[in-house]
Amino acid sequence: MAGRARELTRLWSKYAGMNLLTLIRSRRSAAIEIGTDVVLNVAVVSTSLLLAQRFNGIGQWDKYQIFFMLGYAMTVNGALNIFFGYNLRMISRRIGRGQLDHMLLQPQPFWRTFITEGFMPFSEPSVLVIAGAFMGWSAARLPAGVTALWVIALVANLIASGGIVMAFQVIWGAIAFWAPMSAEEISSSTNRMVLQLGTLPLNVVATGLQATLVTVVPVGLTAWLPARELAGPGGPGLGALATPLAAPVFLILAVLTFRRGLAHYAEIGSQRYLSFGHRR
Amino acid sequence: MTSVAWPVAGSIRRLGPQARAIGKTFSLSAIAALGDSKLRLLDSALRIVRVVVLLALWRSILGHGETANGFGLGTLLTYTLVGELFAEQLSAGSDFGNWIWEGSIVSKMVYPFTVVGQIIADVAGQWTFGFVSVSIPILVLAPLLGVDPLPADARALFAFIPAIALSVIVGLAIDFILALAMAVYDLAPWLVANLRAAIAAVLAGTVIPLAILPWGLGTIFQWLPFASMGSAPLLIYTGSGHVARLLLVQTGWAAVMTALAAGMWRASRERLVSHGG
Repeated sequence: MAGRARELTRLWSKYAGMNLLTLIRSRRSAAIEIGTDVVLNVAVVSTSLLLAQRFNGIGQWDKYQIFFMLGYAMTVNGALNIFFGYNLRMISRRIGRGQLDHMLLQPQPFWRTFITEGFMPFSEPSVLVIAGAFMGWSAARLPAGVTALWVIALVANLIASGGIVMAFQVIWGAIAFWAPMSAEEISSSTNRMVLQLGTLPLNVVATGLQATLVTVVPVGLTAWLPARELAGPGGPGLGALATPLAAPVFLILAVLTFRRGLAHYAEIGSQRYLSFGHRR
Repeated sequence: MTSVAWPVAGSIRRLGPQARAIGKTFSLSAIAALGDSKLRLLDSALRIVRVVVLLALWRSILGHGETANGFGLGTLLTYTLVGELFAEQLSAGSDFGNWIWEGSIVSKMVYPFTVVGQIIADVAGQWTFGFVSVSIPILVLAPLLGVDPLPADARALFAFIPAIALSVIVGLAIDFILALAMAVYDLAPWLVANLRAAIAAVLAGTVIPLAILPWGLGTIFQWLPFASMGSAPLLIYTGSGHVARLLLVQTGWAAVMTALAAGMWRASRERLVSHGG
């Protein structure tokens, strides 16, 4: 166990070093990369943010509850970009382009490559810092207040939401095993779903659609449902367990789907592989 | 008489093959978009679900009879619905940046018709997919969603036609300028495209009418070119804006952005970098 942790830490520090080298190769590219990330992430939450500010809330939620939900969504996305950058979050690209071979060739288990290779702690943390500050600022203004139990529930929900986003990406992205060209960009579509629908207060939609958006397309679990349970007037109740309990189900589904795809890949390989890593 | 007729006849003869080439490019682009991937339907589904959620948002914010900065609930619902119906036209963009990035611009430049003509034909062809998979379903769903998709009156409908044409001109000119800037400053096309979409989402007013924005942001944003792309046609369609003033501002931006794009093209054409695949 300790050996595994040591190995993970060693790999993360290696990838962190490479990320730093990439970032500092030019001041201009570093500024562009960090600046655009911040603009993109703020723009994603802008609709709900501006509406909540203008109308002092949306529906039954006051503006601080909405702000908290948006800070939560940005935190989840910011953390995932740090840990799963370099197209790991957009797994259909790796699969569809035949770049999975680069991961399979490495003398280590695939899962370890998956959770370490996309580590980008230097080019991505700006969003996480802004999101964390925004979430903290709005949390301090919530009716229930911040307690130790609340913080534990928050951390558990953030990790679970991140796991659900990645599981959702992998489940859909695995289609690229069977349709490498046409599904190469499917992860972009599912990512857009998470970013665009996950930042809207879904309590305003009909129950049927709401149920779909927390099960079949679980974007409601990436911010809205956890925020509803954490930002409500009574503090976190049993509802705060919903997302942490749902996460393992989605992760198991993701592992099963990916394994099935990988078995198919082992038989047919990739016709799109080029030695310099790009696609045909 | 003959000396006048000859050049005109010559122009028409030259226009024939050009029109045919544009028509063919349009068809190829439309077929490619339709047949490219059934998985693109996911994006279409997302757009439809998103508009359903946005309509529900407006209903949760405004009750019947209530107004926000002069916008009643019915107007806001029509504004959002029509904004999604014409989403691709109100934020018109092309693959020009990708052509430069991939190096295919080299082949495009030796095709026997203008690059601008190719861009327009390609973009219009790509719209077919969105029209079939998003606009028509939304239009069919409109009565079920309780939204009146019709324009405010006949005058609004007639003014909407030039307004959306001007919106497309401004959008494509901005796209052209950004693509050239991308090549000159060596930026990644997806970065520029994402950034443009993100900025336009807030500044264009296609989701939230600019007048409703907090902190008086709308009073500044309404004069920017992005407002001429998104907000102006929708305000005209819903009868919520001063038609002549909106069309005048749009015409001004269309002229400025087109001139800027043409100037940049002349200046950077020879220095254009083909990035390679």
